[in-house]
Amino acid sequence: MKKYFSRDKWKYSFYCLTHPADGFYEIRHRDRGSVPIALFYVVFYALCYSWNRLGASFIVNDTNPRSVDAVSELFGVLLLFLLLCIGNWSITCLMSGEGRLKDIAIIIGYSLLPMILTLIPATVISQIVAQNEEAFYYIIVFLGTAYSMLLMLIGIMTIHNYTLLKTLITVFLTIVAMLIIIFCAMMIFSLVSQVIGFFESVYTELLFR
Amino acid sequence: MMSNLKSKLQKTVLLTLTAIMLLTSVCVADDVPYVTYNYDYWKNIVYTPAAYIPDGKIEGTSILDEEGNSIGAFKSPADVYLASDENIYIVDSGNHRIVVLSGEDYSYVAVIDGFTNENGEWETFTEPQGICRSDDPNGNIYIADSGNNRVVILDDNYELVHIIQNPEQGDNVLEDGFIFAPQKVIVDYAERLYVISKNTEEGIMIFNTDHQFEAFYGQIPVVVTTWQRIWYHLSTREQKDRQTLRISTEYNGLDVDPNGFIYASYLDENGLQAVMRLNPKGNDVIKKGVNQNIGGDIDILETNSYSGKSTAVDVVYRDNGIYSFLDSKRGRIFTYDHEGNLLYIFGGLGAQEGCFKSPVAIEQNTNGQIMVADLVQNVVLLFRATEYGALINTAVGLRFDGDEELAVPLWEEVLKLDANFELAYVGLGKSYLSAGENEKAMDYLEKGMSRQYYSIAYRRYRNEFLVENLEWMLTALVVLVVAGFAVTKYRNRKKYRDDSADTLE
Repeated sequence: MKKYFSRDKWKYSFYCLTHPADGFYEIRHRDRGSVPIALFYVVFYALCYSWNRLGASFIVNDTNPRSVDAVSELFGVLLLFLLLCIGNWSITCLMSGEGRLKDIAIIIGYSLLPMILTLIPATVISQIVAQNEEAFYYIIVFLGTAYSMLLMLIGIMTIHNYTLLKTLITVFLTIVAMLIIIFCAMMIFSLVSQVIGFFESVYTELLFR
Repeated sequence: MMSNLKSKLQKTVLLTLTAIMLLTSVCVADDVPYVTYNYDYWKNIVYTPAAYIPDGKIEGTSILDEEGNSIGAFKSPADVYLASDENIYIVDSGNHRIVVLSGEDYSYVAVIDGFTNENGEWETFTEPQGICRSDDPNGNIYIADSGNNRVVILDDNYELVHIIQNPEQGDNVLEDGFIFAPQKVIVDYAERLYVISKNTEEGIMIFNTDHQFEAFYGQIPVVVTTWQRIWYHLSTREQKDRQTLRISTEYNGLDVDPNGFIYASYLDENGLQAVMRLNPKGNDVIKKGVNQNIGGDIDILETNSYSGKSTAVDVVYRDNGIYSFLDSKRGRIFTYDHEGNLLYIFGGLGAQEGCFKSPVAIEQNTNGQIMVADLVQNVVLLFRATEYGALINTAVGLRFDGDEELAVPLWEEVLKLDANFELAYVGLGKSYLSAGENEKAMDYLEKGMSRQYYSIAYRRYRNEFLVENLEWMLTALVVLVVAGFAVTKYRNRKKYRDDSADTLE
């Protein structure tokens, strides 16, 4: 446990915020990162996201509060995270990327940190803005999101030892891979349910014989 | 003893039964043969009390003329019109006549089944479709005599004034072979006549006071989506030739407000708008409200035959900016205010008393009732406002006149009957706002989903809060800064002292 959650590891995730290239390099080559901390950030991000949807002020918030469900949003974010990791890993494996699945998970988790760090103050600030002032809120949210995206890009570039162009191509292919995974999952789901249905009907036929 | 007990038991049972009956009869006060609902900010269906309930019908058979004979049942009534002389004109299309009834008690006034022409011969109508009368109570009556392709203009005594037939092709506006087939007519305060002619996609025809054709008016714009454009570019010449032309749809119902704006119902392609409000230039100036939807039902994306966009067939301008349109698809009547807020929905198709089979025309009479002509049932159905509907009508009217303060008690009553009515929350919120009760106003305006006014209330509330609390907040800030400064200084000094002590050692 100590190995994953040491004070040094926590601090290191913040070091990556300010020194992305160096930070992510050492995650790949000196094992400075921690998957559990990355997972914690993902879960925490999901909670912040739900809280923002529910708690942001009426002025900036056009969400029907009855449609917010923190648990399903948590699972949604986790699923997306999983898809992103697997998609990226399966593509970079084929494109001579150096990163391991572990590294990919860590850099994606750590890259969410700016979004977490801006969503919380943004939600608080939304409580004290009126119309025409909501730009403050949107700027904060936008900056956080943009910085997160940038970190993710630099992270993928660093751990796989790619050029920028290759990274962008990889990102595009990752999205394609994610769609393929979703497609396969749905197909398997429907096929399995059909097979189950078949055996079920055979069973009922036998039963009523 | 035994019988005593028995009678007691009977009494209790009877009492309980009566109580149950009384209670249920109270509960089902709004027992109407259709569902009444509204759409909230998030376009979800919210069930509401009935705003209008069935209130009988006008049947031809029960109308007696001067001699006490029945005028006979209506046959396919096509239009119903309330004129400025407070008489009701029913276009009894299948019987080729116009039935004039008193606006108050629907008693017989006259039956117009023809007129004497210039040559002194008697002429009749053939399947008339529309009627209107000028604002002047002694003014002319305009009858769209569709079967004879003409508009017949009669005076106060039902004597012929003029016949509009084959309108002149003045400035070559009309194509050769144009067929004049008037369906609906309406006349504004300046005696300009507006005519919807069948299969005329150029818009509404205007005739001036001399009954001369002037121009087409308010053509419905053709909307071509990006997707359709892409398809068109991708298709071959042969395919293009076989595609249907994209031409404007036609209007199918008309009304005019006191300022001369024309309300015209039509079939919108997307189901987002059912009524246009045309200014004198022929441009649509209707307001669409928060949902950007004045096309009736919003929740239309199901796949059964009963789903799909509402089919507007007629529109009526009522008072204070309120207008209603009639949907023949599901037999519903949608009522909006001048800002495009959906006020209430009522009516339905069916065989029950008070339901429609094929509604075609809508009008409001002097008693505040809504009249709907039904083509298949051959009657004119009547609806009267409930307390709920009347409250909304009055409150919206006050708002339209700018007397929002007077509307406050009415909105409170509305909320007692229907706690989901967003417009009432906005009305109350605004009044609290002007009364200076900003916190309460914020609460109401948030419930009414009015961001604009909520923001104003919030800004005032924030200012008040700052004025009251700024003093101690600033003091606390100063104290904190000074304290922090002092602590750092002390620490630094201590550290320095320790360091120097270290070096000394």
